[in-house]
Amino acid sequence: MERPIIGHEWAVDLLLKGLTIGRVSHATLIVGPPNIGKATIARVFAQALNCTGEAPVPCGECVSCRKVISGNHPDVRVLDAPGQSLKIDEVRGLQRELSLSPHESRWRVVVLCEFERATAEAANALLKTLEEPPAQVVLILTATEADVLLPTIVSRCQVLSLRPLPVTLVKEALVSRWGADPVQAELLARLSGGRLGWAVRALEDEELLARRDEHLGDLASLMSKGRVDRLAYAAGLSRDPESAKGALALWLGWWRDVLLLASGSRVPVTNVDQGAMLHQQAEQVTLRQAQRMVAQLQSTIRNLDQNVNLRLALEVLLLSLPSVDGNIGR
Amino acid sequence: MATQALYRKWRSRTFDEVIGQEHVTRTLQNALATDRVVHAYLFTGPRGTGKTTTARLLAKAVNCVGDTDVKPCGECSICRAVDEGRLMDMIEIDAASNRGIDEIRDLREKVGFRPGEARIKFYIIDEVHMLTDPAFNALLKTLEEPPPHVIFVLATTEPHKIPATIISRCQRFDFRRIPLSEITRWLTHIADAEGLAVEPEALEYIARQSSGSMRDAISLLDQLTAYGSDTITLAQVQAVLGAVTPQSVMELADSLIDGDLARGLDVINQAIGDGAEPRQFTREFVEYLRGLLLLKMGDGAGLLRASVPDETLARMKEQVPRLSPRTLLRATRLFNEAALEMKVGFLPQLPLELAFVEAVMDETAAESPVATTPSAPAQKQPVTPVIPPTPSAPPSPTKGPSPTKGLAPAAEVSPPQPPAPPASPTPAGDLTFDVVESHWQDILTRLRQTNKMVEALMRSVRLVAVDGNSIIVEAPSDLLKGRIEQPGSKSHVEQCIDQVIGVPARLRCVMKGEYRPRPQPAATPAVEVAQDDQTRKEDAESDSAPDGPKENNPGALDPDEDPMLQEALNLGAKVKNVE
Repeated sequence: MERPIIGHEWAVDLLLKGLTIGRVSHATLIVGPPNIGKATIARVFAQALNCTGEAPVPCGECVSCRKVISGNHPDVRVLDAPGQSLKIDEVRGLQRELSLSPHESRWRVVVLCEFERATAEAANALLKTLEEPPAQVVLILTATEADVLLPTIVSRCQVLSLRPLPVTLVKEALVSRWGADPVQAELLARLSGGRLGWAVRALEDEELLARRDEHLGDLASLMSKGRVDRLAYAAGLSRDPESAKGALALWLGWWRDVLLLASGSRVPVTNVDQGAMLHQQAEQVTLRQAQRMVAQLQSTIRNLDQNVNLRLALEVLLLSLPSVDGNIGR
Repeated sequence: MATQALYRKWRSRTFDEVIGQEHVTRTLQNALATDRVVHAYLFTGPRGTGKTTTARLLAKAVNCVGDTDVKPCGECSICRAVDEGRLMDMIEIDAASNRGIDEIRDLREKVGFRPGEARIKFYIIDEVHMLTDPAFNALLKTLEEPPPHVIFVLATTEPHKIPATIISRCQRFDFRRIPLSEITRWLTHIADAEGLAVEPEALEYIARQSSGSMRDAISLLDQLTAYGSDTITLAQVQAVLGAVTPQSVMELADSLIDGDLARGLDVINQAIGDGAEPRQFTREFVEYLRGLLLLKMGDGAGLLRASVPDETLARMKEQVPRLSPRTLLRATRLFNEAALEMKVGFLPQLPLELAFVEAVMDETAAESPVATTPSAPAQKQPVTPVIPPTPSAPPSPTKGPSPTKGLAPAAEVSPPQPPAPPASPTPAGDLTFDVVESHWQDILTRLRQTNKMVEALMRSVRLVAVDGNSIIVEAPSDLLKGRIEQPGSKSHVEQCIDQVIGVPARLRCVMKGEYRPRPQPAATPAVEVAQDDQTRKEDAESDSAPDGPKENNPGALDPDEDPMLQEALNLGAKVKNVE
């Protein structure tokens, strides 16, 4: 049978083995960067808990598994609302629900995706339940990082920290399972930074790569332009916050590559397809400039999360972008 | 049926089993023995230190009907009922989900009723910091004078959120983080009792990772039992935690000392490729740096011996002499910030990499204040930056001849005086950082009277140093720098300084973070002077920055542009006339 999850063997083994030997942790926290497979693992574990088919679980074919996959299982709740905060009322509702025994299966499973969405009140309200839930209840939380949650929450869970997959594994999976073209798969695998979920999305969304080329091209051309053009570009970009954030993440990856090349490190770069351009830029800028740029991009991204004015942030950033012709004064 | 998590199964059943909190348990036991148990307690302390556990123990002890001397007996009906969570008179309230005034009103109504089977009605209000303000206030009267058959225990990890009026009505007990050795001992006990084979090193590692929280430690042990293999090894623990091999940490430290950027970045990415968790790596590196710091600052070896393997300690001792205290401090600070960096994007190792690059670059910058070496222009042609070229670029660790004294932070020492030639019209001694700083407000005030534009400009810069008769200020952007350097505003400021302090001075503006103090004149002045001249020339060059405003009249001699004149000025000359 095909493994339900690509990579992360140790984490999946740990969960499933616990199930076979009868040691199911009542609270599990899965952490890792976005699109790495946290929710996928959580769902597979939920399936496995209630699977009625033959070992190895989850079989994926029994009624229970199929219900979980289609999202219809009465005892498996997945709370996933990206971008919205998780409120205390939802947690209270959950507590009421959990106090009842399962309808039809062994376990009542609740998957709380992106638990960092929880408000302080909601997170605190879950504490007691998380520590000593009713029998036959399993709670699975996911978050980008353990450190963004309350330490009291983390301390009550078994923590599985997912790590990026090796690039080769992502590439193979793209080719074999999603039928991607090997060259494209290689590029996507590198760009994904080991996040299979992202790579698959990029494969399905052709515009994504086109947008990437566009943003990188803009970055290169801005370096030879003066203040007026930069400010105009910042104004344009700030009209679409989502795409601006995407561009910033891309640029961050790009400048990290420049920094790596300029430092003479042997670490493989992310933007493999743009090797020549990267080398050229690494020649043109000093190490200090590259480092400043990375640091500044990082702090801009951080500031945007704290609701700074997007346009101002972009303007400041672009003004400090190194210039290739020295005509910044104009 | 779910197996109970080990941390629930191993909740302490007697006061002796509450680890590392003797100051609390002894006091409570004495109170029990002398019948001085009060009606309200507040338990505070970090997670996993035993607050809820102790509260339940107290509930057992006050109600225990066993005939042993030491309460709780753990045998009687009451004790067993508490252990199984079915005693009607022990009411555990989750204050975080029942945080409103209505819940407290409800509680107040029921407080009056006498207990059913036990002697005392015992209320445990857990996570009490989450009660709303009205709820807290509604509780005040009840908490102060409850009926005689009621005891309250409030437990929280965040005592600062509790109103003072609540705290003053309770006996407060602060739970402490549990020492490493105690956690290890208790873990060994649990492992033995559960029949788990665990390497002692693995247990110690788990204990260290739990930072004083017993629940974290037991949780981790629990998680590892799911591996189901014969023995839990250190390697397994490290794999689950995404730990870093000591070799990578030591190698990173070596790269930092050697200023080898490429190698350091390789080490980081290699370790992450091998499964290390970036934040964990950063933390361990901070820990390592702290060790180095302790060794550097005195006899840290004794402190470290308990927690650091001998092998690592030997390597540390070998590395320490190669590091200056200042470098070490700065690096520790940088990496510590990286470890605290909350938001990581899709490149989790980036904060670590960035901290490393920054630490190394500051290092090379501080070590070679002589800007670009004369051969630099041939080396690499930096593009004209928006930020003017840094005088620090060479990535190779040029161990310059500069004495370590020069590494002292700019703000602490009053900047060195260059050996002033006897012909100098003003004795350079008149102008020091302290003098300028103390007059800075006066200067700004005077500027305000004459030219508000210039004053605004000067308010946006920061005074960083005084070097000879140049006053050096830091501008946050090149735009401001350009404006300040316009001859009009610059001379205006200089005039004002002259008027206020009475010493003619020159204003020099640098970009933020670019000013480096020059090396102190050392015992061999001849060499130093030569070197100083070199620095000065470099400074002069970097002063005539590419985007500096150009003089309209090409024939005129701009004091800002001419390196010769610049040097003369630096040596103390004064511009009499510009034609």
